[in-house]
Amino acid sequence: MKQQFLSIEGVRNAVRQMPEDALTPVREAALAHLDEHGLPTVRDEDWKYTDLSPAIDISNRWLAAGARLATDKEIADSIAAITASIDADWLVIANGIIDDSRVTRSNGLDVSRFSERPEEFVIERPLANLNAALLRDGLRIQVSAATEKPIGLLVIDSAGAATGVSQASIEIDIAPGCDVEIIEYQASVGENDHYANSVVELHVGQGASASYVRVQNRGNVHVQTGRLSAALGVDSKMSFASYDLGGRLVRNDVEINMAEPGAEVNIVGLYVAGESQHIDNHIRVDHRVGPTTSSQEYRGILNGNCRCVWNGKAIVHDGADGTDASQANHNLLLSDKAEIDTKPELEIYADDVKCSHGTTVGQLDEAALFYLRTRGLNKRRATEILTHAFAVDIVGRAPVSAARDAIASMVESRLEELVQDVVL
Amino acid sequence: MLEIKNLKTRIGDTEILRGLTLSAEAGEVHAIMGPNGSGKSTLALVIAGHDDYIVTDGTVTYKGQNLLDLEPEERAREGVFLGFQYPVEIPGVNNAYLLKAAVNARRRHNGLDEVDAFEFLKLAREKMTALGMDPKLLNRGVNEGFSGGEKKRNEVLQMTMLEPSLAILDETDSGLDIDALKTVATGINTLRSPERTIVLITHYQRLLDYVEPDFVHVLSEGKIVRSGDKTLALELEDKGYDWVREAVTA
Repeated sequence: MKQQFLSIEGVRNAVRQMPEDALTPVREAALAHLDEHGLPTVRDEDWKYTDLSPAIDISNRWLAAGARLATDKEIADSIAAITASIDADWLVIANGIIDDSRVTRSNGLDVSRFSERPEEFVIERPLANLNAALLRDGLRIQVSAATEKPIGLLVIDSAGAATGVSQASIEIDIAPGCDVEIIEYQASVGENDHYANSVVELHVGQGASASYVRVQNRGNVHVQTGRLSAALGVDSKMSFASYDLGGRLVRNDVEINMAEPGAEVNIVGLYVAGESQHIDNHIRVDHRVGPTTSSQEYRGILNGNCRCVWNGKAIVHDGADGTDASQANHNLLLSDKAEIDTKPELEIYADDVKCSHGTTVGQLDEAALFYLRTRGLNKRRATEILTHAFAVDIVGRAPVSAARDAIASMVESRLEELVQDVVL
Repeated sequence: MLEIKNLKTRIGDTEILRGLTLSAEAGEVHAIMGPNGSGKSTLALVIAGHDDYIVTDGTVTYKGQNLLDLEPEERAREGVFLGFQYPVEIPGVNNAYLLKAAVNARRRHNGLDEVDAFEFLKLAREKMTALGMDPKLLNRGVNEGFSGGEKKRNEVLQMTMLEPSLAILDETDSGLDIDALKTVATGINTLRSPERTIVLITHYQRLLDYVEPDFVHVLSEGKIVRSGDKTLALELEDKGYDWVREAVTA
């Protein structure tokens, strides 16, 4: 697709036609930032391999058509099915509108809207400006004691009736010493064009721990961009696992800010891409002090004419001695038309650090394939088993046990589908 | 059971089997011996269906059908089993899962119901104990982190669970200490039956002390150059492979 440019006029009209409320000044500020900086293009180093033109094209058409949020009721069944598949306290953002009717409020869990207390939230980052400009309202979650169930965040859109665009913005604050499990689930239904843009801000307090699972299982004609920014407190711990199974064009940015000593983050991810899919994962960990520890390990399974991008960056700032950072990315290519651009990056400005990185790109192990066939399994079944074996470790490392079975079965059915298309 | 006539194969441009002829009937145990590079493993892999090896001439008939027409998985389901010289490690594929999938693939092919999961595990554990294997290995990845001896025992375990009609064991004895060799040999001997053919490919005579062959063949430069009974193995052990080579050239 030819490079597209976002219609700022269109965004301005959309912002101005929203009812005036407590967030109006923030929307205006975000609009001004967007007007000044625009959206990233492939000329930006961090966006070299991912052209946002399809997202911009959808946005422009949606803006021109009146920038209306979808109201189809057809997603009710999907919401019911997903919230039933994982035992969690579910907060739902459907077609950009927050629905907190399912959540069980307890002493430790406070749920509110940005509009109730319109204090500062992130607007000055790529796509976060667009998000803030078009945001109806954001979801603020404060956790001050361990919750009984994981917190579920379902962001779901329907694109049954018309071209759609939706924004979700969520802020989560975990009080010192609390252990919290979170599941973010991104889904969409319908065959029309849709672009979903989400921003999540996470603060993990001193000595607290956040176990965060993100599942992206959108329809394979839909576009998704998402940003997760986390700030880790003294001696806090974050375990993050990301699973990308759907989407036509997907871009995830994960930014971890480690500005307090003793913080630790472990990040794992799996992306599965088939024909015509484009999935880009950018991870950035800033070690601003030591000792802090980070690890990143992503695995990708690619088939058909598809492209995936992985960029894992760790920046060890001056004085962040005692940093331990590792990055790994392994890819399994099931087709010679599949493309992976993988790049681990380490920037080190401190002396006493332990850093490592490694990436691999490979095909199915022919010897293993033959071995399985000599045991009576046909080529496709053997391919399926080996492909599953490549993913199974990342599935097992989902840090939220309540979500693990559901993720395992989603990954399994996605891989089964993918292997059906492999040319043997 | 197995009838090989004038088999010639190459890998890339290298000719390996150069007109091999061998016949093995049901109920027989054959040992194929020979120096390194004589084509022993090639023969095993060609029978199993490895597509790196191109058959340029000759025939391989198994139970009256052209074996070379079948895919490796079809051969397995028809009852051909290869115990690999170097069993591959497959992390992420559960050993019990593969064992069960293999048994069920064969059963379905024979029109039988799938095995009962409970009975299957019970049987597998019994056979493992008999082979001196830790039943915990069932829950590990296939051969993942197994010692050399454990890998070989795992091959024999698969064989005893699959109950093949034609079992080819490629240097199953290598890497085994004497006690392990005895347990593995016992495992092989339990499979001896009038309906089954076992082909032992080995470098040394040692295994044949415990699994007594009906026939011994010497493979050299891609051909069977001498066949005899078990005393041939002893003669070889005594005189070395140079003796065969000299005999061939002479």
